[in-house]
Amino acid sequence: MSSARRLGTIVAHELRLARHDPVSIMVLLVFPVITIAFLKPAFRPALVEGGFTHANGAEHVVPGQAVMSAFFIVSLVTFSFFSEHGWATWDRLRASRATSFEIIAGKSLPRIAIGIAQLGVLLIAGVVLFGLHIRGNGFALVPLIVTFSVCLVLLGVAVTALCRTAQEAGAFAYLGMVLFGAIGGAFVPFDLLPAWARAIAPLTPTYWAMRGMRSVVLDGQGLGGVGLPCAALAGMGIVFAFVARRRLRFDETKSGWA
Amino acid sequence: MAQLRRQARVPSQPPATTTTPTPPPALDVRGVRKSYGATVALDGVDLVVEPGTIVGLLGRNGAGKTSLVSVVAGLLRPDAGRVLVDGVDIAHEPRRARALIGLAPQDTGVYLPLSVRDNLRFFGGLSDLHGRERATRIEEVGAALMLDELMDRRARDLSGGERRRLHTAIAVLHRPRLVLLDEPTTGADVQTRRELLRLVTNLSREGSAVVYSTHYLQEIEELGAGVALIDHGRIVARGALDELIRQYGSSALELSFTGAVPPAANVAGSRVTGTTVRIATDDPAATAALVLGGLGAGASSLCSMEIVRPTLESVFTTLTGQRLSREVEPAA
Repeated sequence: MSSARRLGTIVAHELRLARHDPVSIMVLLVFPVITIAFLKPAFRPALVEGGFTHANGAEHVVPGQAVMSAFFIVSLVTFSFFSEHGWATWDRLRASRATSFEIIAGKSLPRIAIGIAQLGVLLIAGVVLFGLHIRGNGFALVPLIVTFSVCLVLLGVAVTALCRTAQEAGAFAYLGMVLFGAIGGAFVPFDLLPAWARAIAPLTPTYWAMRGMRSVVLDGQGLGGVGLPCAALAGMGIVFAFVARRRLRFDETKSGWA
Repeated sequence: MAQLRRQARVPSQPPATTTTPTPPPALDVRGVRKSYGATVALDGVDLVVEPGTIVGLLGRNGAGKTSLVSVVAGLLRPDAGRVLVDGVDIAHEPRRARALIGLAPQDTGVYLPLSVRDNLRFFGGLSDLHGRERATRIEEVGAALMLDELMDRRARDLSGGERRRLHTAIAVLHRPRLVLLDEPTTGADVQTRRELLRLVTNLSREGSAVVYSTHYLQEIEELGAGVALIDHGRIVARGALDELIRQYGSSALELSFTGAVPPAANVAGSRVTGTTVRIATDDPAATAALVLGGLGAGASSLCSMEIVRPTLESVFTTLTGQRLSREVEPAA
């Protein structure tokens, strides 16, 4: 059996499992839409004061909430590993013909696809429902979205490698979402952050995702505006992959949920 | 014992060019050691299992059964020794070896949100079963384990026994050469236990080798399986059930008292454990008459007397100095 076919079997299986988890769809899509509806008016003054007189608030809130909620992908990735321990299926998977790479890739690819779909759907919903006006080339957001999704999934694998229990992983993913969201400028525009937060913001994936979004949505740039953010996100992804490679032990006993 | 079995396969005459080569054992474990820190789990285990045979791996909790199963399945890397599955070294060719193994770990491992069929389809797919072949095999295994009417039910909604059957079905779906069942009937109901034992018998008839880890002596006897007794990480005896009973089994008389064992009961060949004395004897009836006659006033504290016939239990006791049935009650 080819590795590709086995990988396909795992991907299809992961998607089947994801279908049984409607809460994820709520968190990824429904909650941000509700939040956007509430927060959009509040951010218009800040954008106008920043020189974007045409803005209606959606230009910050839609990308911000999309990026914030996309962080939930980290939880989805950790859950996909820890639930195997909760269901006691991890050893079965390890005892199968699937290689470590196939198992990790089989769990990661569907989450990358979910991340891309989630960000895409929210941006389109922003245009259709909330009057989001993208000044630059909207297609320039595609590589940014892909790179950001890959980066988050690799972060999820790294978190899985570093944590022994599902609770640790859940707490880490939640803290990451809130802290990175706040520091990275997804909650409030980067310009309004305190100086200390602006100083460390480039250490977060959220900052680079928001910077790329802002370049295209508000500053009207194209691919040139997302080049550096994509490179930074790719670099972070490599670091997360390195951590995962060094720390992920398949024979480690983890305490999972089911 | 393992060495004797190996020697028995050596041809008596030099092999001619037309001689069919002897097929390798389904499982050949040599000198396997495994420690967890200072705790030695496996201490130089040798075990050979031929195709089409069942070996009951028998031992108390913590004796090393699960560690051995995990090493054979490739889940644990041994500190020393080697494991060959159908001639394939699991350390050097893990994927090829795994393809030959069907593992049902001790804990029931199924995907609770998925249906019985989807669980089987997934693991079938990982085992190179696809399309019609997979569907046919799912139907066969489902029928063998009475899962056929539960195929569309979520694993979450199955009873404990039904989950256990699904758990085992996953292990045998791809017709493995070596089936590793680790405590397969733990917590199983009567029907599940019966179906599992029948399945194991059929698997061996079809040519698979089965390693059946358990501490239920009765199941080994029902299966008529070969026995490997494991204690403190060592195989202390290996052979056919009858052979072991003949070699190591002994009759005994066991008397329990409400208080301390009276000195009169402490005769030659006796061993006192708490308020119980066990007297090894070839003639339990005569020994009983002798001891009861000598008890005198001490007889008033006698609360039970049992004649222990040579069984696997007595073999286990002879070899390990411990009774297995005190640790766990037999399955329902």
